[in-house]
Amino acid sequence: MSLTVDLGRRIELVSMDPHFNDISIGLYRQNLDAGLELVVHTYSQRKGARERIAFIAGAMAILGGMKQLPGDYERLRFFSGADLPIAARRVFLEACKCPSGTEVKGRPLNIFDKKSQSQVDVRSLGNGVYQVTMEAKTDQAVKRAPAIAAGLVKLSGAKLLDALPPQLGFPDGQSKDALVGLLLVRALNVRAVLREEEATTSRGVLSAPSAQKE
Amino acid sequence: MIANSQLVGSMNGRERVLAALRREPVDRTPVCNPTSVATVELMDLVDAPFPEANQKPELMARLAATSYTELGFDSIMPIFTIIQDSSALGCKIQWEQKDNWPTVKMREPIWETPDDIKIPSDFLTHRDTRCVLEAIKILKKEYGEEVAIIGKTMGPWSLGYHCFGVEPFLLMSLDDPGKTKLCLDRMKEATIQFGIAQVEAGADAITLPDHATGDLVSGEYYKRYLRELHIEFVEQIRIPIILHICGKTVDRMEYIAQTGMAAFHYDSKNEPSESVAIVKNRMSLVGNVNNPQTLFSKGPETVRKEVEKNLEAGVQLIGPECAIPLQTAIENLKEIPLAVTDWHREHTRKN
Repeated sequence: MSLTVDLGRRIELVSMDPHFNDISIGLYRQNLDAGLELVVHTYSQRKGARERIAFIAGAMAILGGMKQLPGDYERLRFFSGADLPIAARRVFLEACKCPSGTEVKGRPLNIFDKKSQSQVDVRSLGNGVYQVTMEAKTDQAVKRAPAIAAGLVKLSGAKLLDALPPQLGFPDGQSKDALVGLLLVRALNVRAVLREEEATTSRGVLSAPSAQKE
Repeated sequence: MIANSQLVGSMNGRERVLAALRREPVDRTPVCNPTSVATVELMDLVDAPFPEANQKPELMARLAATSYTELGFDSIMPIFTIIQDSSALGCKIQWEQKDNWPTVKMREPIWETPDDIKIPSDFLTHRDTRCVLEAIKILKKEYGEEVAIIGKTMGPWSLGYHCFGVEPFLLMSLDDPGKTKLCLDRMKEATIQFGIAQVEAGADAITLPDHATGDLVSGEYYKRYLRELHIEFVEQIRIPIILHICGKTVDRMEYIAQTGMAAFHYDSKNEPSESVAIVKNRMSLVGNVNNPQTLFSKGPETVRKEVEKNLEAGVQLIGPECAIPLQTAIENLKEIPLAVTDWHREHTRKN
């Protein structure tokens, strides 16, 4: 009898969880009658694996501003039920970085940007629209704002609404402060995020001997 | 070849695979993995992670069995890597972790000249070859009646890369064909010994990867260096052999078809219909669902399309083109047998 289950489409995988016995943890997207649901799952039967999954789902709820579904610790969705797989992947990856037992806190909508030597503020304008503003008024800071907004768009799947001042919006028209706060940290250096992703995806692909990096 | 569509479901996996390798009628096209379908999630499921699953027979067998028990393939292939034989020959191995493939440290070659080539007396009792033989015995005992157990022995060209290093071996093949042939002739003993040992352990068929790949080696090279050796393997290893070469290989399929190999496990860089036309039913084809773009990065719908393309072309055994990425999603792998079954159901209804 098969032990694998139909979890929907896997949208992200952490191959080796450094905080729990190197187990593999997947994030799955299910389209059910009740709407879209995200499922955090591991096939590991190790003692404590279930608790680790519960912790990650809980961390996702805090970091991404998501709702854990009642009675099912590993299932979540965005409050509006929005389908934001790109954002969900980022929330999942960030949650997996948290060791179990640590206190997980949501991140603020502001951060210091070393590159422009300026504080960055992301302001919610309501209806799921956010505006990126820089405290400093230098040329460099002015140029950085659209780049940071573009980073947020890339990492969240939101749409860029305006270039100056840079504004982005979520398709469901709902505020997502926790999610934007989480992604703001990474939006300052999207290239690093992409490099990290590239390194991860190239692992585990077998090359012919002639194609291997010796 | 489907003899009678009303017979769908009347054969078990083993019968189906072996019949397809002989190009005899089958109830439906078998789903076959001549190379690895292990994933990190399947490792978790049966608690058999890399690298240990390449070193301990019980773990190797347990992980390999999931291709049948979980994915619904008609074959089980326990030799996930391409390094078991090279390790036993004395190559240094980078074993890596659960989420990556072990590799031979080819920058530290063990041989430089034909006279260096010696098959160690413990070649078949070394931990990494013994593991394979023991795993095959376990699988044969547990699943041998219902599913095809496929072994793997590396061909001399691949062993040449591993033992001499890729660049020195290729340069030798350019500068001194005689010396190269002598090396291949001596290394072939390892291929034959390991292959025969797997037959004795219970393998139903043997995959023989010999990486004369399309990117580095021409079709003429294949003819010059490998065709005769491959004919010899067919004579010596007396069960169906599935030759595996990565990359674009249509320029050598004609020569491969002349060797008597039961099948060729071919890459998605080759068009199924063109490949079928070249081999002209002289051997079966196995493949060729793309790994990096399709199985790894896309969803079941794309997998299904590639399976159907192979079925429409008349490819005899369906499977991934090569060892799948370890992070491949299970739902994509399960889609292969589902798509095959649906295609046959559809064609039965039409007929």
